[in-house]
Amino acid sequence: MTHDAVPWDRPGALSGPIGVPLVDLLDRVLATGVVVSGDLVIAIADVPLVRVSLHALLSSVGERVPAPWADSGPL
Amino acid sequence: MTEDSPEAPGTTALYVYAVCRADGGPALDGVSGVARGEPVRTLPLGSLTAIVQTVRAAEFTDEAWQERLTDEPELERYARAHHEVVSVVAAQAPTVPLPLATLYTAEDRAGLVLGNESARFHTALERIAHHAEWGVKVYAADSPGEDGDETARQPCTPGTPEDRGRPAPGAGRAYLERRRNLRARHERQREDSLRVAETVDTQVCRLAKASRRLRPHGPGTADGHRLQVLNATYLVADHRAAELELLVKDLRERTGAGIELSGPWVPYSFVGEV
Repeated sequence: MTHDAVPWDRPGALSGPIGVPLVDLLDRVLATGVVVSGDLVIAIADVPLVRVSLHALLSSVGERVPAPWADSGPL
Repeated sequence: MTEDSPEAPGTTALYVYAVCRADGGPALDGVSGVARGEPVRTLPLGSLTAIVQTVRAAEFTDEAWQERLTDEPELERYARAHHEVVSVVAAQAPTVPLPLATLYTAEDRAGLVLGNESARFHTALERIAHHAEWGVKVYAADSPGEDGDETARQPCTPGTPEDRGRPAPGAGRAYLERRRNLRARHERQREDSLRVAETVDTQVCRLAKASRRLRPHGPGTADGHRLQVLNATYLVADHRAAELELLVKDLRERTGAGIELSGPWVPYSFVGEV
């Protein structure tokens, strides 16, 4: 069983909006290191909110499988 | 309170996708962004340029997002639209992507806040120039299943009516032993996979400029049937991308673990810590 790089829609480019798996995309667009705070985003993408909601959506870390690391990321 | 008149302040907001250097403003033709009707455009910020779009503020309230975060197709639409804009810009010049739904109440607010951070943007732009982000996920090797301890299994003979409910002597102990062995094996497999994850991370870190551990995806996601033991992401110089692919191939062969490489990504995960 080989797992090659997740195929991008347009190979090689930094531009695969279609081919990128949603879960990997959300890891990045939601958890991207925040450079600045927005006026409205404070209430919206406030980290705890995102954490809770994403947990429900993706069950990122299920109850049956605890995260292997205590500190395993920004989400 | 939000008013319905389109001119009233607060009915529109400015969505900011990304920031890049002012020289060579990116072409944004054919990019639609997260909102319909309004163009994705540039907002000059002195030495920098922000990629922005005017959106209806009502679509970006707390409540709207609460709902959206539980509506996967909707969330996906927004995430992909955001990513498309970021990707188009990043394909043309080094770009600092902002998180999904970074909004300002007005253009001058965005100009003020982003302008005040221009030193950090420049630092981030320098850091990520000629680099891309690559995701590496490691999955535990497939479990061989419940067999492998056949010796401990009692032969299953249909009992006579008198035997029913009265297992052969020793059956209980054999059962417990089987359970214990199974648990021990699973524990060993888990430890082995975590060790593989550490090895992979250490090796990839050697050719990366920076790394971050993301939260492993649990069951319920697309790969829910496999146990993900590493979800990490690395900032790798463009000229080392081929080396990375070779390394991952080699690690796959050496460890036997499922290792997935994704990329190149716009360096979403490496613009915040500057």
